[in-house]
Parts: sequence; structure tokens; C-alpha cells
Amino acid sequence: MSRHHRRAAGFGLAAMLLLSMQGANAQEHSYTPADIDNGRGLYQANCLGCHGDQGNAVESVDLSSNRLRRASTDEELAALIRSGIPGTLMIPRPQFSDGELQGLVAFLRTMASQTGGAGSEREVALGDPSRGQQLFFGKADCGSCHGVGGGGSRLYVDLANIGGRRTPASLENAILYPEAELREGQRFMQVVDKSGAATVGLLMNQDTDSVQMMSLDERLVSFGKRDLEAWNFLPSQMQSSRDVLSAEEIADLVAYLVSLKAE
Amino acid sequence: MTRMKLFSLFAALALAGGVNAQVSPERLLNAKAEPGDWLLYHGNYNGQRYTTLNEINQQNVGNLELKWIWQVRSRGGSAEKFEATPLVFDGVMYTVSPPNDVIALDPKTGRVFWTYNYTPDQNARVCCGRVNRGLAVHGDTLFMGAIDGHLLAIDRISGQLKWDVSIGDPSLGYALTVAPLVIGDKVIVGPAGGEYGIRGFIAAYDVNNGAELWRFNTIPGPGEAGFESWEDPAQEAWKLGGGSIWTTGSYDPELNLTYWGVGNPGPDWNGDSRPGDNLYTDSVVALNADTGELAWHYQFTPHDEMDYDATQVPVLADMVWNGNQRKVLMFANRSGVFYVIDRTTGEFLLGKPFVAVNWMDGTFDEKGRPNRVLSPSPEGTLIMPNNQGATNWYSPSYSPETNLFYVPTWVDTYSVYTKRPGPVQYVPGQTYVGMYPSMAVPALAARLINQRIPEEGTGAIQAIDPNTGEIVWRHVMTDVTSSGVLSTATNLVFAGGREGIFYALNARTGDELWQQRLGGEVASGPMSFELEGKQYVAISAGGSLFVFGLRE
Repeated sequence: MSRHHRRAAGFGLAAMLLLSMQGANAQEHSYTPADIDNGRGLYQANCLGCHGDQGNAVESVDLSSNRLRRASTDEELAALIRSGIPGTLMIPRPQFSDGELQGLVAFLRTMASQTGGAGSEREVALGDPSRGQQLFFGKADCGSCHGVGGGGSRLYVDLANIGGRRTPASLENAILYPEAELREGQRFMQVVDKSGAATVGLLMNQDTDSVQMMSLDERLVSFGKRDLEAWNFLPSQMQSSRDVLSAEEIADLVAYLVSLKAE
Repeated sequence: MTRMKLFSLFAALALAGGVNAQVSPERLLNAKAEPGDWLLYHGNYNGQRYTTLNEINQQNVGNLELKWIWQVRSRGGSAEKFEATPLVFDGVMYTVSPPNDVIALDPKTGRVFWTYNYTPDQNARVCCGRVNRGLAVHGDTLFMGAIDGHLLAIDRISGQLKWDVSIGDPSLGYALTVAPLVIGDKVIVGPAGGEYGIRGFIAAYDVNNGAELWRFNTIPGPGEAGFESWEDPAQEAWKLGGGSIWTTGSYDPELNLTYWGVGNPGPDWNGDSRPGDNLYTDSVVALNADTGELAWHYQFTPHDEMDYDATQVPVLADMVWNGNQRKVLMFANRSGVFYVIDRTTGEFLLGKPFVAVNWMDGTFDEKGRPNRVLSPSPEGTLIMPNNQGATNWYSPSYSPETNLFYVPTWVDTYSVYTKRPGPVQYVPGQTYVGMYPSMAVPALAARLINQRIPEEGTGAIQAIDPNTGEIVWRHVMTDVTSSGVLSTATNLVFAGGREGIFYALNARTGDELWQQRLGGEVASGPMSFELEGKQYVAISAGGSLFVFGLRE
């Protein structure tokens, strides 16, 4: 629960800090801090209820990804907000002025750098990305689970765009304290059937009477709870690197991850 | 054929099929006498959503089977939640598909007699989806509120519009999502729009022409009782005070009082601009049905900053309550507390949390004012229950047979409420709310995927003993539920949830007796009707209306 406290606190960051931290995107498009701040307020009052504080609460829509199916350019994004999407909860919002839409777009376009997990605003040391890459596939052994644009297991997050979606602090935190950065979609479960046979896998979905998982051998399997003796969430499957890597190596690894940005 | 014979034939037809029988105010008052029809949103004026039909019972409920499905074909392919409870009378079913299309169906086959397609004004503002909860009837006229603040009267035979009045400016947030309530020759509604700085009201309109007959301001103005609870020195806050209406009230004909739950104050999550208790937000009000005059009120959440609208159904029952015969009003509040109130006087009788609650400490002063201990803060405050509440507009049910109150529940959820510094600016037509709180459970609609851990909140149908507020049983679901509940004289409880499972439970134990997966969120209240001697249960879920009956 305290994690949510901190996440909520981190959400109220000053625009200045955001720009200085990871604002390459923002600078390229010259969104002003005032626009971003204005947009944040409008987002919090109009959008957050459905899209969530990370921008990813609506099924298959991740506002923080900067890759939206229905809007590529800023102009398209503004037009989409104004017109809404027929047949969805996204109603038209003719009430927004051009200036307000500009603010919303500025906030959305810079969202990724503002909505990390716990303590995402913290400044962290960044080392040498190429050394980090060697560690990733070598000593730190990240590559045996995580792919980077392919090459990993389906059970674990592919990190091809992780630098565009998490802040450096969030990435460092994940390396040191994997449990703290575990998100929905990354949770593992163990089920045990009446004969005592156990299956471990990534939780894909669940309801009152059933569980859907990707098993460790990457099969999609579904269990009826009536046929199960037990079903339990497991802690993060990721090993912490805090006893494996030096501080310098961790900074290198974080630098490599930060460098992983799509396009 | 003689004229006499013709006349008899006609009379027999009228009796059998109720051909063009008018739904008089007296029929509504005596809805209990014709349990085969469902004449009001709650089934009855008392809000109990309870049926005395008894063909389907605990022994045969396992034989329930799907009789027909009607799939919404809204123009524009609306994926809005299908929240309406159908009405059934005189051999026809009437419902509303989102946003505002009225449909007349054959209750035996699901074939459509007519549709009335209404295109709401593009300026309509809705916080939470283009939804509609259903219809009311008087004579041959159906009434529907539209999301652009229009109240429409539609001929139930032809599907033609009779009249259409605007009750508030849609571009300022005035919207109708509530199923209207007809009492006598009045049709009663109130506007949603608590997120847009409206000034709420409950009003009665003439069933014949839509003329306004009385209005009760849920936000009192200068000179009206309760105005003193808006304490800002500039006396401006009340003008944008909220107090919306979006759940149908109940009615006690003996007392001639109609009871309505009132929504949140505006702005929702930052009350700095509106010091005071902010009456009659988050309250239940008892109004004289002829005049709209306030008889009494009870406020559940004084000076709310958690969006705890009291827009739940006030459920009425006459019962022996802790040894004394009482006319009670039961109210499971969004704030997580179950209440019993004397509905003649408004006396607070009982208040007890039915989920984990931390905004108040579980105690009340002698007048029933809750002892508040937490509020939103600049650094963020974790408050239980979450912003959507422990329950919401989802219809509860009360069974006189079991003397239990059944409530759809979001169990042990939380939100982090962060108060952004500075005043909330009002811009006409824009949200007037503050900062939306964060929460682990998606607020407004089901997602296909649920990967949450139980600590983030689950759902349940709960049975509460009105004498004590104790939970007698809890039927737990992995996801939360926006389903209403129907209880039956045969000790069944029907309800569903976001997972799309529709259940029949044992009303005394909560044990599951039957289920059907519907493949879409159940976000409506179940109802029951009878046709040619056979009992049916109907439920809207996903984008379809499902009707179940016993296998023959």
C-alpha cells in the first residue's frame, strides 16, 4: 500500500524536473512546461478515471507509449480527443479550447518520462551502456529470460522499448528490488490439482471459477478452480542483482536499459 | 356473430393478453397484485427488487436454460454498458439500449415490435458512459431520460414520440441516466452531472405534457433550508454544488413520501472552496410526492471529498426491527456503510460498515453523524473504500421471506486521493472535480483481463441482517461487480458481475445453485416476469439482453 502512496506522490512532479530528467522527446517537440502542467491538470480531471495514472488502464491502449493506433501526429491526437471515439467510453469533448488540447497533447507526449513506478523521480547514476549490454547478456544473466526485440522467453517482458517506458530510477529499482516493480501482467501463479500435481506459470487471466496461465513451458493452459486443491500468486521470478553486481556495474546496466528505445 | 358475442370476445382478449390495458397509477400502487408483470424499475415502489413468482425454486433452478438473446444494434456500434432493467406488462417487454434507443420486444421470442431511435445532442456531457437505466410507464406512455437532459414521452403501442422537454442544458453537464419514477400523474427525475458543476434537483413533470409541477433543489439556494451548510464567505460554491441524481427513488404511498439518494458535491475531490456540510449532497431525502417539499433528510458523508455519491436505492420495508414494528429505509451506501433509518421521521437507527472502511472509525454521534478520520491530502491519502465505493448504483434487494438485505459489493478496495494545491477552476461545460484518485480496480467498466491480486479488492454479493448490520453470508467473486440483485419468494438470489457470470444463489446461505457464463459484463439489475403461466428471469449483460426459463 505504501507503494501506492509513493507512486501518487511521484505523479505530482514539477514539469521542470521532468524535462531535465528525460525530456529529449519534450525538447524535440518543444512542449512548454506550462503546456505540460496545464495538460496534466486536464488529464487528472478528465482522463485519469479511465486511463489510469500510468496511462495504460484501458485495454490495449497505452497512452504513455506514444504509439497510438488512431493518432500519429499531435494534430491527430488533438482531433481525436475533441471528437472522441464512437462506440467507446471516449466521448467527444467539444468543450476543450485549442490551448487546452495543446496542453493535453504535450502532457501525453511526455507522459512516459513522468509516470514511472515507485520513486521514479529519484536521480540515479548512469554508467556505460555498452558495458551494460555485456553485463545484460553475461554476468547479470538478464538475457536468459528477457529478450530485447526478440530472443527471450514469452513469459517475461521484452525490453526493446523499456527505456522509453520507465524512468532510470524505476529501472534501477527493478534490478535491485524486482518485487517492488512487479506490474500487472508479470505475476506468476502456482496451481495444484487434486492429485497434487503443480503447474507454475504467468497469470494471463482469472475469474471466480477459473485460471488462465502461460505455463513455464510456454503453453496456454486453463484450470477450473473446482478441479484444483490450491491456486496462489508467487513472488517475482526475477533475481535481484544487488549481490551480484557492483554499484558501477549496476549503473552500466541501467544505462543500457535506458538506451533501449523503440525508434 | 352478435354484438354481445363480439364484446365478450374482446373482453376475454383484454383479460388474457391485456390488450391495450392502460397502466394506471392504481396498477403501479398495486404492482404486488400482478407479479407476472414488472411495472417499475425496481419492480415495486418499495425498491425491494423482489418477486413473488414461485415457479423457479431451489429444486429446479438447475434446469434454467436460455430462452432467447436480443443483441444491441446501436447505431455507431455503441459498446457502452447495457444498464437498463426491462419493463414487462400486458405481453410486451420494453427496454433501452445505450445510449437512448427504446425497444419494444415480444417477451416470448425477443422479436422487436418497434424501436424509437433518439439521437442525443452532441453537446451531451457524461462522466461515465452514455448509459441509461430504463423506463417508466403511465397509461399508454413510456418515459425515458436521455443523456442530453431531455425527458421523452413515447407511445408504448406505436413507438411514436408524444412529447419531449429539456430539463437542463446538456453543454453544462445536465444529463439524464436514471429510470424515471411515475407517481400518480407525475413523472419524477433528476439530472446527473455532478462532475460538471451542475446545481442538482429532483423534479416532477406532468405525464401529459412534460410541464414541471414541482422542483426540489438538492443544492439549496439563499432562503432555502440547508443553505447554511454552504459556508464559503462569498456564497458562490452552492451555484456549482453538484448533488446529482442517477438512481431511481422509492415511494411509500401511506406516507406519500418519495425517497431519493443524492450525489456528490462539486468539485468532487477538493472541498476547500465549499466549507460546510454541503447539504443535500451524499444524502437521502424524503419528499412529499405532491409538492416536492422536504420531510426529512439524512446525510451519509458531510463535506465529502471522496466522491461518495449517495445514489444508491433507498429500500423500504415494514418489519419488526429489534423488537419493534417499524417502517424502515435501508441504504447500503457507497461509503461502505449500511444504514437503517426510520422512514417516517428520518431517525438514524443503525450504521455499520459492510467492507473495510477507514475514512470514518465506525462510530456515529447521537444524531448519526459519522466520525470522519481521513481526507484527501497533497501528499496522497489511501482511503477505503475506493472512489467507486463499496457499492454504487447497482440495485440491492430485500427479501421479506429471509429478512435479509442483499448488496452487490466491491470488497476492501482503496484509492489514493491526492489534493492538488490551489482552487479548482470552473469552466462551463468542463469537468469540475479536482484530481481523479488512483485505484487498482478499473473504475467504470470491466476489462477482459484480470491479473489483480486479492489485496487489490474483490467483488461479492453480501447478505446483511438489517437488525444488526452483520454480514450473514458473502458470495465472493474474483472481480468486482456492477450487477443488481433480484431476490425471490422461493429463496433464490440472482446476480452477476464483471466476469460475465450470472448466478442463482441460495438466499439463506449464498451457496451457488446455478450459473451461466454470458460473455460480457453484467451491469444491470435482473428482473422476473411471467408469460402464459411460466416464469422467466431477464438480465442485460455485455451488449445483449438474456432471458432464462425452465427447461420444458
